[in-house]
Amino acid sequence: MTFRVIGRVAVNVFKESVRDKVLYNLVVFAVLLIAASFLIGQLTAGQDVKIIKDLGLAAISIFGLLIAVFIGIGLVWKEVEKRSIYVILSKPIRRHEFVLGKYAGLVLTLTVNVVVMTAAFYGVLAVMHWKTDPAIRAAWSVSALDPHLLVAVLLILVELMLVTGIALFFSTFSSPFLSAVLTLGLWVIGHFNADLRNFDQVLASKPAIWLARGLYYVLPNFSAFDVKAQAVYGLPVAPGYVAFTSAYGVLYLAFVLGAAVTVFARRDFK
Amino acid sequence: MHPGRPVLAIVVLLVLLGGAVGLQAVRERRPDLTPPQVSQSSLLYIRSGSVLQRAALSYDGLVADLYWIRALQHFGRTKLSTREGKQYDRLYPLLDLTTTLDPRFDIAYRFGAVFLAEAYPGGAGRPDDAIALLRKGLAQQPAKWQFAQDIGFVHYWWKHDYTEAAAWFRKAGQMPGAPNWLEPLAAVTLARGGNRASSRRLWQEVLATARVDAEWLRPQAEFRLAQLDAMDQIAAIERVIAAYRARVGDQPSTWADLIRTGFLRGVPRDPSGTPYAMNPYWGTVTLQPDSPLAPLPVEQAP
Amino acid sequence: MDAISTEGLTKHYTVGFWRPRPYAALDDLSLRVGTGEVFGFLGPNGAGKTTTLKLLMRLIFPTSGRAEILGRPPGDPDVARRIGYLPEQPYFYDYLTAEELLDYFGSLFGYGAAERRRRTSALLDEVGIGGERRLQLRKFSKGMLQRVGIAQALLNDPEVVFLDEPMSGLDPLGRREIRQLILQLRDRGCTVFFSSHVLADAEALCSRVAILAGGRLVASGALSDIHAFHVHGWELVVSGVGEPVLEQVRARGQALRVTRLADDRFALELPLTVAPERVLAELATHGGRLVSINPLRDTLEDFFVRQIAAAPKGGRMDRAS
Repeated sequence: MTFRVIGRVAVNVFKESVRDKVLYNLVVFAVLLIAASFLIGQLTAGQDVKIIKDLGLAAISIFGLLIAVFIGIGLVWKEVEKRSIYVILSKPIRRHEFVLGKYAGLVLTLTVNVVVMTAAFYGVLAVMHWKTDPAIRAAWSVSALDPHLLVAVLLILVELMLVTGIALFFSTFSSPFLSAVLTLGLWVIGHFNADLRNFDQVLASKPAIWLARGLYYVLPNFSAFDVKAQAVYGLPVAPGYVAFTSAYGVLYLAFVLGAAVTVFARRDFK
Repeated sequence: MHPGRPVLAIVVLLVLLGGAVGLQAVRERRPDLTPPQVSQSSLLYIRSGSVLQRAALSYDGLVADLYWIRALQHFGRTKLSTREGKQYDRLYPLLDLTTTLDPRFDIAYRFGAVFLAEAYPGGAGRPDDAIALLRKGLAQQPAKWQFAQDIGFVHYWWKHDYTEAAAWFRKAGQMPGAPNWLEPLAAVTLARGGNRASSRRLWQEVLATARVDAEWLRPQAEFRLAQLDAMDQIAAIERVIAAYRARVGDQPSTWADLIRTGFLRGVPRDPSGTPYAMNPYWGTVTLQPDSPLAPLPVEQAP
Repeated sequence: MDAISTEGLTKHYTVGFWRPRPYAALDDLSLRVGTGEVFGFLGPNGAGKTTTLKLLMRLIFPTSGRAEILGRPPGDPDVARRIGYLPEQPYFYDYLTAEELLDYFGSLFGYGAAERRRRTSALLDEVGIGGERRLQLRKFSKGMLQRVGIAQALLNDPEVVFLDEPMSGLDPLGRREIRQLILQLRDRGCTVFFSSHVLADAEALCSRVAILAGGRLVASGALSDIHAFHVHGWELVVSGVGEPVLEQVRARGQALRVTRLADDRFALELPLTVAPERVLAELATHGGRLVSINPLRDTLEDFFVRQIAAAPKGGRMDRAS
């Protein structure tokens, strides 16, 4: 596999997403955040920075999720559907390079998105910080510009990379609609993972408990990537935890991409 | 020319998935790697039911189910916990959220009240919360006689307030569709509240109705009846011990003394099959602490 | 070494969801195409032409049999470097311009930036895309996309070019340009393998053809061989003799048909058994003059119809050619 070829495909995906105006969502994000900070500033005292942090992190994660799922499912499918795949696969490129390039391109798009959103997020927080009276600021339990938020953003990005991989995997063999449903379904289940794990306290039947347990282990544990609440309250997240969770994400991602490549390499393009 | 059999690919994929599952298993065993108690902190991230109802958009029913499952998990986990000073502190808020999201979630009121009222450590030991929850249900559905009956129960069984219990049984009995034994029960409760016969009658009636409309109440009723049986048996055995003392002039020190002298035919067992414990000094009989029936309810003179 | 060879190439698809059954899109195709040939791959829609091309491009995998391009299996990156492919009704990326598309493909071949610019601009000139090259492809007409498709197929100066229905969807001028282009490629020593259901294209261009029907090869060989096999008479055009004389010739069985053309010219259709010289000699005694003489033979269309009528037919569901 050559990284040059993968890189060229990736750059092309990025170009496509820019020209398809995917990055417009950044404008929506910025407007949403600024409008919300203004409104909430009028409404509540004291809790406004916390609410903006909640809102900002939630928006980064949801915008990213929507991009990851709805572009991820179209990445390969669109090329097959529009038959542009015929030409590209006749060029000196191997099928796995094509799939990995598509993936890398969307991750590039997502990363640019998340970085810009985070910058805008901190920008709004900085304005709130400076506009607040220093006496009130002193009473805040957590600074508005708390760097802990970056840990939450980092894990959100790793999570989005995994979601993109899953969307890509499903799109190598099923329709976009089904892929979106399956990907979002896995994402939701992955976030209610703790409930799956504790099912033995609700269920009586042994097979049902085993099934829930099995799913808990095998399905991607997305709830592990969610440290938003910690970050908002300025509670430290251990570096070991971040490293372990990222390693888990990367390993799971390798599995998903490997499966996508395996399926794609054997497919007939009728 | 077909790309070869994907055996190698499948092996590699299984290794990768195995690795991910392995990490998940490692996470399971290392508390520092479990997700930072998202379920603990965000469980009640929103304590106000009305806010949550808005946040749940149109899915309040589904979210209510979710909170109900969490309430069950919280109760189950805490009940099984062997930790000292364990707390059922989130039980009432969770039940409150569940019933605010879905005001007609009948089982959450009734089952929830059982959890709340049950004496600590088997339950939350909060009959007041149980009554509050049921009253909330009654406010939503004023004709639901079961809620009124359950409030009467809590007063009767856990608060030993027989006047109040009788008042609620009467109120329930006058509601449309209520069984006809409720009003006589109210009279009995008022006259001889707290005595074992009236308690037995109460639970027998519950058991009879449970067969029809509330299957989940059946184990509860059977359990309470077994406890009442145990209390009757304890009284009987204590009478046997008194008779032994009268004849032999001394307390029996073991069950064997009673068996040898023909007072008993074997080691007495409670309805769950666990042998009774005897205090040789006082000649009193109690349940073994590990008997499923322990602890027995406290009886008060009316 | 052959430019392209296949041996028993077969592709079965499974059709039907509830009761899957195989259906042969291509059945036991063995072909050899020599280096430098212009090879016509002919057949009606649904004959298996596109299936064959996709097998050669490794877009689909054969059920059995094998294929080689330039002595190597398809899908080999070395092969991909030396061939060009134009799919049927090509489609590219809406959001790229023609220039960017060729630049992207060029980068897959590993060309440097200057090299890519040079090739892109030369090829777009060659296929006649001028100022539109800076336009996003979503604004391109079908004919212009076809030109871009040809440009990308030639991007790497390929040794073998595969063209799937290159003339379809083009106006007469466009068709002529493609014909000229194929001849230019031939003159450069490039092997051209093209499929078509339009026979005039093959008659004008091909040294050899293969004819496919219902997924099976029904005929192949040099075009001249197939034609010679089917010469079944002569057509004489004469002038200077009256119709009664010609009617006598016909009555003697020496001509099958007499048709009056413009002015005083007549066309006579002679069976293969009658020597035209004898008829001409007789007519000359009546003052007749020869205007032209042509062998009568099947057009490819006739051949086509006959071959397909003879081909075994099963209860097949044809999807694509």
